[in-house]
Amino acid sequence: MTTYKFLNVIERCIDCGGCFAICKDQNHVPEGTARVRVVTINEGRPGEKNVAISCMHCYEPACVAACPTKAISKREDGIVLTDKSKCIGCGYCSWACPFGAPKYPHDLPPELKEYEGLMDKCTFCVQPFEPGKEREPKPRCALFCATKCRLGGDIAQITPVYTAMKAGSMGRLQERI
Amino acid sequence: MATRTNSIGSCSDFRMSRRTFSKLTALGTAAALSGIGEVGAYPTKFVDNLIEPASAAPAAPGVDLVKSHCSHCALGCGFLGRVEDGVCTGIEPWVENPINRGAMCSKGTSIAEMLNSGTRLKYPLKKEGGKWVKISWTEALDTIANKVKEIKANYGPDSIMWIGSAKVTNEECYLFRKFAAFNGTNNVDHQARICHSTTVAGMANTWSFGAMTNSWNDMRNSGLIFFCGENAAESHPVSMQHILEAKNRGAKFIVADPRFTKSAALADQYVRFRPGTDIPLIWGICHEIIKNDWHNKDFIEKRTYGFEQFKAEVDKYPPEVVEDITWVPADTIRQLAYDWAHPPREGSPACICWAMGATQHTVGTQNIRSFACLSMLMGYVGRPGGGCNAFRGHDNVQGATDMCVLSHWLPSYYGLTEGSWKHWIGVWNEHAPITFEEMKAKFDEHDGKSLMHVKGLTVSRWYEGVLDASVKQPNPVKMVFVWGHSLNSITEMKRMKKALEEVELLVGVDPHATIAASLADRDDGIIILPASTVFEKDGSVTNSARQVQWRNKLVEPLFDSKPDMWIMKELADRLGLGAHFTYDSPDDVLREINRGACVIMMRQSPERLKRQQEYCCAFSCEDCQAKSGPVKGEYWGLPWPCWNDEHPGTPLLYRNDIPVSEGGNEFRTRFRGADSTPGNPVSDDGVSMLGAAYGYSEGYDEMNCDGTPGSGWKFELDCDWKEMIAQNKCPSGAGKSRFRAWNLPDPVPVHREPIESPRPDLVDKYQTYDDMEDHYRVKCLFKTIQQERKNLVNDYPLILTTGRQVEHMGGGAETRSCRYLVELQPEMYAEINPKVAMEIGVKHWDYIWVQTLRGKCKVRAYVTERVNNQTVFMPYHWAGWFEGVPYADRYPPGCAEIALGDSCNIICVDGYDRTTNMQETKACLCKVYPV
Repeated sequence: MTTYKFLNVIERCIDCGGCFAICKDQNHVPEGTARVRVVTINEGRPGEKNVAISCMHCYEPACVAACPTKAISKREDGIVLTDKSKCIGCGYCSWACPFGAPKYPHDLPPELKEYEGLMDKCTFCVQPFEPGKEREPKPRCALFCATKCRLGGDIAQITPVYTAMKAGSMGRLQERI
Repeated sequence: MATRTNSIGSCSDFRMSRRTFSKLTALGTAAALSGIGEVGAYPTKFVDNLIEPASAAPAAPGVDLVKSHCSHCALGCGFLGRVEDGVCTGIEPWVENPINRGAMCSKGTSIAEMLNSGTRLKYPLKKEGGKWVKISWTEALDTIANKVKEIKANYGPDSIMWIGSAKVTNEECYLFRKFAAFNGTNNVDHQARICHSTTVAGMANTWSFGAMTNSWNDMRNSGLIFFCGENAAESHPVSMQHILEAKNRGAKFIVADPRFTKSAALADQYVRFRPGTDIPLIWGICHEIIKNDWHNKDFIEKRTYGFEQFKAEVDKYPPEVVEDITWVPADTIRQLAYDWAHPPREGSPACICWAMGATQHTVGTQNIRSFACLSMLMGYVGRPGGGCNAFRGHDNVQGATDMCVLSHWLPSYYGLTEGSWKHWIGVWNEHAPITFEEMKAKFDEHDGKSLMHVKGLTVSRWYEGVLDASVKQPNPVKMVFVWGHSLNSITEMKRMKKALEEVELLVGVDPHATIAASLADRDDGIIILPASTVFEKDGSVTNSARQVQWRNKLVEPLFDSKPDMWIMKELADRLGLGAHFTYDSPDDVLREINRGACVIMMRQSPERLKRQQEYCCAFSCEDCQAKSGPVKGEYWGLPWPCWNDEHPGTPLLYRNDIPVSEGGNEFRTRFRGADSTPGNPVSDDGVSMLGAAYGYSEGYDEMNCDGTPGSGWKFELDCDWKEMIAQNKCPSGAGKSRFRAWNLPDPVPVHREPIESPRPDLVDKYQTYDDMEDHYRVKCLFKTIQQERKNLVNDYPLILTTGRQVEHMGGGAETRSCRYLVELQPEMYAEINPKVAMEIGVKHWDYIWVQTLRGKCKVRAYVTERVNNQTVFMPYHWAGWFEGVPYADRYPPGCAEIALGDSCNIICVDGYDRTTNMQETKACLCKVYPV
């Protein structure tokens, strides 16, 4: 059975922002909010690492449990989706989510006013910002990732790639120690 | 920050918005995506059993996926434009492209947004009485053509400066150079002057060609990757894919840079060194290698010249001396030397990579020479994984350099000699009649010499041609074309501003208004023309690795913009030159290039390029070679030299362990002292310059078509060289590369302190060059200003260096107009160390002034440990403010970029490379204080 997942090889992320930009373009995410962004730690010093953070489509999503209106649900294929028609914008999911993935866009342009304050997050490219016809789960952030450090797809398919890349990075690290 | 709608024509009623469009067609893109490869994982399609061409045909009705190439850095990343009913609604990954395998950075992924940007120029405009007035193309072109005629009649053809572009196709670059020639001037130049001219001069003077020797993908084979003045994670993000792959396979990745860059964060080792001290750093490494007898004596003996003189110079730089100059501890230099000589990945050579961190110095050419010498010392050049990789900047800057939109060359690196002119006039004559005498009559004379044979003004100092009355041509410059160039990438912007105010007419040709429209304080005398973007026309582009790729038109030109080729043709018609610029298609222009560009053997026909594109999935990502199908054996992009229509291209320059017919290559016998005879090239001190050839047989001189020694290979248009190549002979000869380049100001590089040095005690010991009276027609000061500023460090204690941001590109007119990128990087800043911030009492993101002798910039303080407490870093993509004053209201209405900021080039130093006139932006002295 297919289970969709993101995996990040943080040793390879260069913080180019490609994931952020293609997500905006593909999903028409308005200015001021983002479904994926790159977080940097130890900027400017040895140990600097970047990681692209979005909804991680958890196996047991805390947001689903926290949502009082049952607006968030996990599909059979593992993708966690929000039904914006049920969302009341209470912000409970932000308390539950360990990644800060849920966003509550404000100051939206007039044509998007109806989505003001409602939770928006990564949908694995299944739904754009303004919900419409469902699309295939082909996450552009991963497809376009400059160094192929962000992997997104069926867990069975991406795990071997992740393991190989990670082993390469970690193996080298150990050697150096 | 302005909020814009996500539409094509938010500033006009033009066409429908992308959002509306998607709604209307109710077309999920998913359908169009089937077959684009494995999701996010390594695509598994690069296997050898592929026969069928990959299809770019639409997977859903009404949706076209059109293959194209990114317009930002010189990697040449491919992508598929998603075109629905003639509108580009987004992009999709082109997974089979062997260079990037679908990957793109933030600039690449914003292409659809930039193409459809509402701040693009929409129609021709002229500034009249302080107002921008919309005019028709006819009026604009008539006005410009009449002015050109007037200036030529009153002042001579050299009073027009033609600033060209690396952001257009090879065909347009070629036509632009041809256009300048037909207008009777060598005052034509473009961005390559200010990004990698020193690379070309440095490498070409070492081993004959000035281009990156290996390819992006080839770095996967490296045993050690040494960055010196390069920050690929920001400037060439997708190249990191190959570098990290090499690292994964066991290579060591070392970054030497004054700043702890994003690339340094991924490196195995980071070495901080003082800006402007590349040569001592490299010489320290060479010194240790020679001292320990690690160098490759076999290679040095067989394929190089001048080792003894080189060694004599390097002997002066033991690690302790280098430590004092560069900040790098002596032990680190010893360790770097060991690593360079013993790359940790068994059997793999090391490569050195650089970009503008190394080139933009008064000693830029010599910096590159030192890198080449480091590579030769171990014999790493000409081997997979080795070589010298100059990471070039713009998408077609290699192509524009090859087409020589440069004031000292004719296309394909032909000099300005009579023989070179006759070669090209012969080619041009085949298109429309022109003779050498007719061409010569177009040029003026100065000091009794035809200016046809005199190097013209350069982009880096064209403004001195306006301001300096003693300019070495009949009259100063009176009119300037800024044809696809961001003026904020040139230093001494105050001087330039003054020049822009003095010329009689300023013509800007660009998709965006740029500061060509806004910088000058003038109420009239500016015309700006909306050029199409590269996605609105067909043509070929050459990436940094000499790979030529065909870029397809995605959509018809938006608004009232026109392709550059059309604009040139219309101007040519009005100037009576129409016949020479009338072509049916870019393909015809490329065929003309194929015919004449012999020095680089650019014989990649449009048919072969398009066939490669069709069979893209046959090409391996490992070595860029096609493993099956009708393109089997060919290398991606047919990297030049591509000798004939059967040659697979030369992926690695100077590799002579494989036959020429399979992409082998030799050092050219380019360097010949006065005593040389055909068949026996010798150096100026009488040493034979014949090297070891394929299979390590004896070298030979360059050849004519009939096999006799001579320079015929550069001039014989109808020869296909097949016979010679079948015998494994490289028609350009098999010669030696040079440790000692006798024709350069320093035959072996020596350290010379920057014009503004923080070490007064070193200035006298390592003086810069003598002043020059005539450096590309203008005066250039070196020693005088260095001496004047010897103790400047007392007042300006910090070193200012400049560089890239990943989100922006070049002068930034395009990227600062893109909402996504502006969200990521909204404001101009200067990076300062926390210690410095504490001393001057500012917090992160406070406004500060950065001041030098030239002026000051008002920018945000970015407090970070990326820079040490002696260095300040500023990105160079910003414009739209001038010394703290916003210029937004000077742009044509609706055409200012979304994000504006002060330009660091207002304050960069007025030092220039001794050989190529490259500006020194990487080392000068400054002070910072709160606003």
